[in-house]
Amino acid sequence: MTDQTIITARGVTRRFGGLVALDSVDLDVPHGIVQAIIGPNGSGKTTLLNALSGASHADAGSIRIDGKEIFRLRPHRIARLGLARTFQNIRVFSNLTVLENVKVAAACNSPMSMFSIMLSTTTQRQRETEIESAARQALEIVGLAGRADDRPTQLPYAQQRLLEIARALASKPSVLLLDEPAAGMNMTESMTLLDTIAKLKGKGITVLLVEHNVRLVMGISDRVAVLDFGKKIAEGAPSDVQRNPLVIEAYLGRRHRHA
Amino acid sequence: MTVKHWFPLALGAVVALLIPAVTHDNYVIQLLNIAILNAIVVLGLNFATGWVGQINFGQAAFYGLGAYTTGIATKAGLPWITTPFLSVVIVMGASLVLGLPTLRLRTYYLAMTTIGFGEIVRLIIVHWEPVTGGTSGLRAIPGINVFGIGPQGQIQHYYLLIVVLGLAASIAARIRQSSLGRAMIATKDSEIAAEQSGVDTTRTKLIAFTIGAVYAGLAGCLYASSIRFISPDSFSGTQAILLMTMLIVGGMGSIPGCIIGAVGLTILPEALRFLGQWYLVLYGLGVIAVIVLAPGGLASLASRLPRWAGAR
Ligand SMILES: Nc1ncnc2c1ncn2[C@@H]1O[C@H](COP(=O)(O)OP(=O)(O)OP(=O)(O)O)[C@@H](O)[C@H]1O
Ligand SMILES: [Mg+2]
Repeated sequence: MTDQTIITARGVTRRFGGLVALDSVDLDVPHGIVQAIIGPNGSGKTTLLNALSGASHADAGSIRIDGKEIFRLRPHRIARLGLARTFQNIRVFSNLTVLENVKVAAACNSPMSMFSIMLSTTTQRQRETEIESAARQALEIVGLAGRADDRPTQLPYAQQRLLEIARALASKPSVLLLDEPAAGMNMTESMTLLDTIAKLKGKGITVLLVEHNVRLVMGISDRVAVLDFGKKIAEGAPSDVQRNPLVIEAYLGRRHRHA
Repeated sequence: MTVKHWFPLALGAVVALLIPAVTHDNYVIQLLNIAILNAIVVLGLNFATGWVGQINFGQAAFYGLGAYTTGIATKAGLPWITTPFLSVVIVMGASLVLGLPTLRLRTYYLAMTTIGFGEIVRLIIVHWEPVTGGTSGLRAIPGINVFGIGPQGQIQHYYLLIVVLGLAASIAARIRQSSLGRAMIATKDSEIAAEQSGVDTTRTKLIAFTIGAVYAGLAGCLYASSIRFISPDSFSGTQAILLMTMLIVGGMGSIPGCIIGAVGLTILPEALRFLGQWYLVLYGLGVIAVIVLAPGGLASLASRLPRWAGAR
């Protein structure tokens, strides 16, 4: 079971004051699939990604990536174990070029020695060449190769999201967490994004896709987990989840009450 | 490297090398020497402040630690060649002691800690009179001497310091072009995104702070043994703020900006001396004008020049 499951989360709980944003969530994600996490606004999707990636630790629970316990590990350690992510609120490095943004993550697993940098040793220059080609490759995958020397802030919103995906890919992750990657994208851009996600799955990357647009994710996801008020209320194949009365209630019920 | 890159560099180098041919005034050359040393210190400040975005008011104290270590050691009879190493060891130790506990915390913790550190260093210098000379400082510090060879006179010192500044700037440029430099700027732009990209941001901050301290410590070492006189005033809290002003006016994050800011703000007060007390007013207005009109510093104006030239 463990060698089949790349993410194993047990009892993940996160409180903000009195609010229980995640209420003992369990999650098992098999290797190499696209797993969607859906749920209404404020249901805890981002909080779950933050707990998995170490950006904001859970208060309790256990999280294993590829069998290794990562609970309370600092985010860069988790990144180096092969987990990469993007952000719902775009976080690009605005003082670096597009290429340099991606290079930051491409250097993920290469230790930097002051002396080799100062002396510009052969190994150092060789590493730089490798980092550069990994970064350009990642830009190629998302279709941003032509914007390598621009500043990220010169890119339209949708492309900044793609840049975040390229940056995440550059660290050669085995797990990729995407937090609402289609937000702010038009229909064509969203379709291209879905193609890209399918490509990544083809490369053997496990993708955890957070969305609140249910229709968008149904076609591409192998499994869907549904959060509501911090609890996992359903999980399974997209078609089953879509018919689940609890899910319909969470989405439609809420919408009707608010409307 | 394109023409756009090497032309200003070559121009700067030619001007720098020709200055002693234009003026033999020892006073002017000595002022330039101090300006060059300040430029090295500001280049050091740029790592933690310009690139990583940490506010550091300890740079003058590291400058002073290097200078006093060198002054005290050489006056006690130690060979000069030991002093760069001694200075580096002491400032590295101090920067690690300051940085380790504070850098994992928020930006302003380092600001507060380094203000306190600067004050402690100043108090030690002022009150440990038998060793440091107290407020009157240390005089007649032995000069640079590497196995009997050393620069003689202001102009030789000037050339030596220009070479050291060139080295300091090129190491900074190399770091900027490496994964370490990118990690520094990523840490400033978004600490969490940097972490999630595999950057150990605490380590990156500590490295930037320590490299900066080493720049200041080495500049202090050269200050003591080329100016030959040091006093607490040169490394006070006021100096710390002045160094920060040089960085802001020159252009945070820009290597040429650091040099322009440091040289400009070292020379300007002397050039405006004929105005008497009024110089401070003009100086203050000038600094404000730069900050308001060119928020990216003087370097950001310079980078706009080629575009104007191209537009013609
Ligand atoms: N840092 C925080 N401090 C306090 N409350 C928070 C914090 N972060 C999230 N919350 C709360 O936790 C709950 C879950 O938030 P979360 O951002 O995980 O939801 P989400 O499912 O990602 O929603 P959305 O679809 O709007 O992105 C919300 O009620 C939110 O207000
Ligand atoms: Mg969210």
